[in-house]
Amino acid sequence: MELSLSNEQQMIVDMVRRFVREEIVPLEMHLDPDADQLESDDRERLVGKVKEMGLYGLDIPVEYGGPDIDVVTRTLMAIEMSQHRAGLYAPCYGVFGGAGLAQLFEASDAQKEKYLYPTLRGEKRGFFGLTEPSGGSDPARAIQTRAIQDGDDWVINGGKIFISGADKADFGLVFARTGGEGRGGVTCFIVDTDTPGFHVRRIVHTLRSAHYATELQFEDMHVPAINILGQLNKGFAIANDRLSRQRIPYSAGCIGVAVKAHEMALEYSKQRETFGAPLSNRQAIQWMLVDNEIDIKQATWLTLEAADRARRGDSFRKEAAMCKIVATESAGRVVDRAMQIHGGYGVTKDFPLERWYRELRIRRIGEGPNEVQRHIIARDIIGAGLR
Amino acid sequence: MKVLVAAKRVVDYNVNVRVLSDESGVDLNNVKMSVNPFDEIAIEEAVRLKEAGQAEEVIVVSVGTSACQEQIRTALALGADRGILVETDEEVQPLGIAKVLKAIMDKEQPEIVIAGKQAIDGDNSQTGQMLAALGGYGQATFASEVELGDGTATVTREIDGGLETITVKLPAVITTDLRLNEPRYASLPNIMKAKKKPIDTYTPADLGVDVTPSIKTLKVSPPAERQAGIVVETVEELVDKLKNEAKVI
Repeated sequence: MELSLSNEQQMIVDMVRRFVREEIVPLEMHLDPDADQLESDDRERLVGKVKEMGLYGLDIPVEYGGPDIDVVTRTLMAIEMSQHRAGLYAPCYGVFGGAGLAQLFEASDAQKEKYLYPTLRGEKRGFFGLTEPSGGSDPARAIQTRAIQDGDDWVINGGKIFISGADKADFGLVFARTGGEGRGGVTCFIVDTDTPGFHVRRIVHTLRSAHYATELQFEDMHVPAINILGQLNKGFAIANDRLSRQRIPYSAGCIGVAVKAHEMALEYSKQRETFGAPLSNRQAIQWMLVDNEIDIKQATWLTLEAADRARRGDSFRKEAAMCKIVATESAGRVVDRAMQIHGGYGVTKDFPLERWYRELRIRRIGEGPNEVQRHIIARDIIGAGLR
Repeated sequence: MKVLVAAKRVVDYNVNVRVLSDESGVDLNNVKMSVNPFDEIAIEEAVRLKEAGQAEEVIVVSVGTSACQEQIRTALALGADRGILVETDEEVQPLGIAKVLKAIMDKEQPEIVIAGKQAIDGDNSQTGQMLAALGGYGQATFASEVELGDGTATVTREIDGGLETITVKLPAVITTDLRLNEPRYASLPNIMKAKKKPIDTYTPADLGVDVTPSIKTLKVSPPAERQAGIVVETVEELVDKLKNEAKVI
């Protein structure tokens, strides 16, 4: 069992850490505390640097021109990339590039030409439309949006909620019911946002000030059958694969924020004096710092284990659920303690702690609520029959 | 033309070091180690010479424990072609390192040696100068600009109160100042390539060099704690305090 990083992994981690500290953090001093975008010239300059580092388009598969990075190293990088104020939801403000919607790699050649390649080139943006007002944790049952065949088209009626970026997207993946109840009756459609009948009903404001979600409505929206992604009634598998895999970087982002908050707390506690001694001399504070250390370590190992199983091609559903629970909950505790140690300063917008504190609360709900993750683990250890 | 670069393994500049309770040194347990930042500038300069077609090969040397391989790999990932580790568990001091580098120069016959002007651990700023003296090579320290001519190097040096430009004959030892260049980030393809680049390992004895320390460390102590500042009411009061209390003007 090998529990240390390879020389190459260490170099990559060092390189990303230096990039975040020397390129990203200094820019944040001049940005709005809730910003999630860089000025365009800064962005271009940093994208150029990332390209020189050979790390642009991190999540693009090698065969499509992405860098050759295994999922463990990718996870280690994600832990570094979120170590700044906007890091949780906008790691490095996106200058490492994104692959967009991973499901598009399963698309037909014609669909790839129209949607995947423009996305990889940064010319088109897509959204992922799964959750509905009737629920998002159990999409196989909750999906009520319906598609009915009409000649070469499918006519979609229904709606989605909490969909990120749909108002700025050129297209999106919409999951709709085409068959009976349950997972066997769901199909994934690629929908252009200029299709008649596609409406962004409203913007849903959340406790994340920079980001918001949208509510969508589909009214007799005609989508051609060639826009079905994958196969008819097999859309759920497409959604589900993303859901487990996404939990690993989702956890890693939380860990990065916890690492940074803990580092700030450690430094501050040694400087801040009360009643003639630094805070770090007080046992009440020491125990908070110790608990931070333990929280971060357990979240890191669980997340790396899930990543390592994914790397080896082993089943990692249970491990991904575990790391999602532990990373999101422990990062919340770490930031909470760091805020307590910082006292009044902790809640000011001069420090990133208050932003992390708000945004981390969403992480226990997003990407499958932690109760659902526990249900996944229960099903795994008790038996598949458990519903 | 061959360029030899010296790279020292030191405590990372972000780490706040702690002095050991017996005052024999600083605590290196579980401390992040890196390439000395001035040596990183030396590596960058050598790689740029290679990219500009002025050098054919960049060789990086490190003297110390086997762990120095990590720093050599970092240099290889930044673009050096091969590495040499001179392995010893002894505490290495400037004269010892200079003797080792002299032996490597005899072996490799490089035209230029580039090293940091000092390492951020001992802050000695001696190795480059000692190496130049031992070998009778040209010497250009604290470089902020290097230009190669025919068998010469023209170097702009950062000296107290200004800049000095000198021309030295090759082979020469050049030590780098902060402003010489801005080291690049390693790149993923180069990190992967670095894995396959060769590192030769010698001991000082293989090179016929004695690195036994000539200086004995008596005591290491932390710098005095900084006193809290005060707010003065007027400029007159400030001037008065600077003159009579701090005695700096």
